Amino acid sequence: MSALQFPVDTMAAMEAEDIRELLVRAFPDALELEVEDRTGTGDHFQVTVASPAFDGISLLDQHRRVNDVLSAHLADGSIHELRIKTKGTP
Amino acid sequence: MKELREQIEDVIKHEPVALFMKGTPQMVMCGNSYRALNALQTAEAPITAVDILPDPRIRHELSALSGWPTNPQVFVNGELVGGADIVEELLASGELVQRLDGALGSDRPQDVKVVALELA
Repeated sequence: MSALQFPVDTMAAMEAEDIRELLVRAFPDALELEVEDRTGTGDHFQVTVASPAFDGISLLDQHRRVNDVLSAHLADGSIHELRIKTKGTP
Repeated sequence: MKELREQIEDVIKHEPVALFMKGTPQMVMCGNSYRALNALQTAEAPITAVDILPDPRIRHELSALSGWPTNPQVFVNGELVGGADIVEELLASGELVQRLDGALGSDRPQDVKVVALELA
C-alpha cells in the first residue's frame, strides 16, 4: 500500500489545545471540557464534555455532536483516534 | 459481484449484530475494536464481524452509509448503536443487554462469525 492511501501518516499532529478551542466554540456553555493527548503524539485524543447541549438527546447523538465539531480532522486523518465521554447537566 | 456499498448494506440490514472492526475476532488489530468486541461478548451478543482493513474503501463506504466517522461501528438490527465508547458505556449501564434482549430476545445465540467483503 502506498502512503497516499493512508493520509494519516503524512498529517501534521494536532495540539490538544486546538481541539479544545474548537469544542469551546461549539459548546460555549460547557460545564466541563477536557482534551487529553493520550499518547503524546498529537493524534490520539480523549475528549470529555459536559454540556446542557446533551440534555435529553441519546448517547449516539451526543457523540455525533462531538464528532461533527471535529469532522474535518477525523476525515483527513489528523485525529487518528478519538475517545469521547459526554455528560448532560445533573 | 455486488458493489462494495451494497455488500456493507446487506451486512448491516441482515445481520442481527454487525461489528465493523480492524482485524477479526480471532486477530484483533486495534484496541478500540477489542473494546467493542469484548463489550458485545460480555453482553452475550451474536456477532457478525467485518474486517475493514483489507481496503480503505471499506471504511469510506461504511462512514458514508452510517454517517459515523470512526471505527469500530456496531449495529443491532440494522441500527447504528455507536463506537467502542458508546458500546462500553451502554454495557456498564445495562442498556446494551436491554437493547439486545429487545431486538433479539434474551434466549439468543452467541455465535461469532466473520463476513469477508468481496473487493473488485
